Amino acid sequence: MEERLYDLIFICRPATPEEDIDKIIATLEHTVAERAGKIDKTEKWGARKMAYRVKRHREGYYVLMVLRSTQGDMVHELERRLKVNDAVIKYMTVRLDEDIKRQKRLQQRRERKAARRPRGGARGHGHPAGGEQPAAAAQQQ
Amino acid sequence: MADDTQKESQSHEAHAAPEHKPARPQESHPATDAPAAGKPPEARPPDARSHESRAHEGRPHEGRPRGEGRPGEGRGGEGRGPREGGREGGKRGRRGFYRKKKVCRFCVDRVDFIDYKKPEQLMTFIQERGKIVPRRITGTCSRHQRWLAEAIKRARNIALMPFGGAR
Repeated sequence: MEERLYDLIFICRPATPEEDIDKIIATLEHTVAERAGKIDKTEKWGARKMAYRVKRHREGYYVLMVLRSTQGDMVHELERRLKVNDAVIKYMTVRLDEDIKRQKRLQQRRERKAARRPRGGARGHGHPAGGEQPAAAAQQQ
Repeated sequence: MADDTQKESQSHEAHAAPEHKPARPQESHPATDAPAAGKPPEARPPDARSHESRAHEGRPHEGRPRGEGRPGEGRGGEGRGPREGGREGGKRGRRGFYRKKKVCRFCVDRVDFIDYKKPEQLMTFIQERGKIVPRRITGTCSRHQRWLAEAIKRARNIALMPFGGAR
């Protein structure tokens, strides 16, 4: 099975001490390593207001992890661990590799088009999207 | 009643197929049948002919009314067929104003991927009560609307965006 890319976001209770959050992250990292997965990045967004109440909390401590794996059951195991943990009030795993693939394909097509036509190329240099995507990439890293 | 229907059917048939006349006129009125039989074959082809003749010969003879109509239509149609031009012109006239064409914002910015982790950007595409704004209002193209809807739904799932307004 080819490698898949996932976004794993989980939300902890806002009152959770920082060390506990680090502990949760450590256990997740351990699980990922066990299943021969890779962690592209871990991002602590910190406490932020949620759009709706979750388990009576209006705020939550967001953590984002970007993972790669060839084993689908890694996700199951991670979610199981999050479910078990009392500090975690919400989590979500999104498979992103197909979206990224599509994005790359579209980018390549645009570049090819730009290369073919000098007029189109001049347009392409403006690249308002190009400005956005590096920003997105920067956020992810 | 039966007679009437018979007559009618006969006359219709007479219109359609003049060859059968000789047999039927004996049953009904020969006097009425004869003109009826005479008219249809003449009347129909002449009509067709007259249309054609108008198209071909009409210009030289009745050139003025036609000539006036066509160039006017032609101007409206920007050098297309005169009929199409006329129709377009009519629509414009009925509307009376132009609606500003909406452009997909994502296409303008050449967005290949809509990130669900940026709720600030997505918030502009939901209504007060949390509804996703339809693309007929925002002008988003179908492809980007699809991606946008997916991103909004993901964001809702992880409490980055609201499902409904007041929660």
